[in-house]
Amino acid sequence: MDLAIETNGLTKKYGSLTAVNRLDLRVKRKTIHGFLGPNGAGKTTTIKILVGLLKPNEGTVRVLGQELHGDKTAGFLNSFYEQADSRLSIGYMPELPKFPKHLKGSELLDIYGQMYGMTQQHRNEQIPKLIELVGLKGRENDLIGKYSKGMQQRIGIAQTLLNNPELVILDEPSLGLDPVGMVEVREVVKEIAKEGRTVLVSSHLLFEVEQICTDVTIINRGTALVSDTLQRVSGLIEGPAMLHVEVAKTSDKIVNAVKKLPSVTSVVQTGNTLRIQMKTHEDTRAQVSQEITMSGGIIIGMSQKTSNLEDVFIQLIHKDQGEKPR
Amino acid sequence: MNTRTSTRRRRPSWFIRFWAVVRYEMLWNIRKKKFLGLVIVAFALATLIWVLPIVSSNATDQPIEADPDFAVNFAIPGIGLFLFALITAMNSFSSEFESGTVVPLLTKPVSRTMVFLGKLLAALIIILFTYTILFVYGIIGGTLVYGSQNNLHLVPIGLFGNILSTFLWVAIIIAAGTLSKSTIISALVAFGLFFGLLFAVQIISVLAGPSPILNYVPGSGASGKMMTPQGQIDIGAGTDNIGVNMINYVLYPSANVDFNMTRIELQGNQPLITQVFAYSEPISLITSRSVVTTIVYTIVFLFIAWIAFKWAQILE
Repeated sequence: MDLAIETNGLTKKYGSLTAVNRLDLRVKRKTIHGFLGPNGAGKTTTIKILVGLLKPNEGTVRVLGQELHGDKTAGFLNSFYEQADSRLSIGYMPELPKFPKHLKGSELLDIYGQMYGMTQQHRNEQIPKLIELVGLKGRENDLIGKYSKGMQQRIGIAQTLLNNPELVILDEPSLGLDPVGMVEVREVVKEIAKEGRTVLVSSHLLFEVEQICTDVTIINRGTALVSDTLQRVSGLIEGPAMLHVEVAKTSDKIVNAVKKLPSVTSVVQTGNTLRIQMKTHEDTRAQVSQEITMSGGIIIGMSQKTSNLEDVFIQLIHKDQGEKPR
Repeated sequence: MNTRTSTRRRRPSWFIRFWAVVRYEMLWNIRKKKFLGLVIVAFALATLIWVLPIVSSNATDQPIEADPDFAVNFAIPGIGLFLFALITAMNSFSSEFESGTVVPLLTKPVSRTMVFLGKLLAALIIILFTYTILFVYGIIGGTLVYGSQNNLHLVPIGLFGNILSTFLWVAIIIAAGTLSKSTIISALVAFGLFFGLLFAVQIISVLAGPSPILNYVPGSGASGKMMTPQGQIDIGAGTDNIGVNMINYVLYPSANVDFNMTRIELQGNQPLITQVFAYSEPISLITSRSVVTTIVYTIVFLFIAWIAFKWAQILE
């Protein structure tokens, strides 16, 4: 498997607290990988190890094929230089990023671009595009000290993409953004991935991950509980399905007919809507539809709610903590 | 190194990346309000040096006495060196940690050593540039007031000495900043050390005489007097006086500096304070010792700062 990120037995301790506990993380290339977990699960600590801000106590880290931290064969100074080089292909946006307030937005991108070794010409071409992409056109010559939290988040995304990275790591990219900004960020993330990059997104917004990610890892107490494609992870829970049926005109006859179906547990009528609790997770829409029609009902709409990422997340976390899911 | 799936890009020139750090730091420094304030105060004081004699001369109707050595004696006082060091270096590292800007900085492809050296070079450039302008300004003004100047070719030596003296304080402040990751703590440590040593040197000088040990700590050091064909010159033997002492050494290479100690005796009920000769040292020894002491301290403190910065873990 072609991996962009691979950790084996990654462990990070702060005194007696184990923030990351033998984490095996695998992020396939050219995927959008959601990194989920409750607060304090070890997401940010893991990411900081991946970008070289923290050193692990144990385990190995390989980013874009290059081993970090544990390379004993390279000399002391050489190893140090190499680790800086490993960041040439990584774009990273920290959680609630802070940038020097004395710099203008365009100056920040220009200086960071220079740190990536970009030529002046390349920077002059790239920076206006990024400013436009993140919606900061017209404000690029303002000091960052005058930027709102949302604008700082936007310049944070722009600096992430400066070097045309192979791997983009976003730590809570929507934090602090208004709903419009959140939608825009999701669109930007999708755009980033379209260009063949690998994106690792840490987020506590499950609907956001569901909308943009192809793969997911859920961690708790520093350990991966599950890691797979979003589809497989979402399908981990196969509880009974719930049908929502909107009927033109409901009647007791229709309700009783549906209740008599062997696969139905209960039916609750609210106005013209029937909420039908099934006994299994299987798709029984055809059966229910037939019964309603035969009883003289006209179906306007029907949807089946199956388990989603949120259900899986909550169940896994509660299970890991030895609690019963609510 | 294992490059199982090598996706490494061509390594860009280290100099481009290093210079980006220098730019980053220089822009920070020159836009600091406190730095601009200090520069204004320094220029105001340099102006006073040559404006006051004009005012005094006009008030007393006495002509201004020519001073052909004004330029070679022009130096920034110890407190000035300390303040320039403090303002330039105080925020350099600690503020990055406090504000969180260290996170995006250290996740760029610049090594911590590169960041460390880049910030040092930026401080050096800022201090060199400011001192050069200040010296040129002061000396032009002095020349206009005190007439033509001798030995102007020695002024760069004085400038170099002042920068060396400043860099000792820069090193101390940066070490305090990287160890504490706190601007307030690094400023308090620096102020405490500067004023603590300043007062300690004065107290020790009075109580125990101008002990040579005073010349091995940062600051003004022991005070002595040097006889020259032009008369007696006050000499500070510490690390803050390298600029003037280097010039004095070039001008009077075989001169000696006499250090006296204060003796307090009781004559009846009245204390009698007298100055007694303690020891003498050649200016060459004083200058070379203060240069070596400064370099050693600077290297030691910068090494401590580098290690602290290199191993700092970014928790927040």
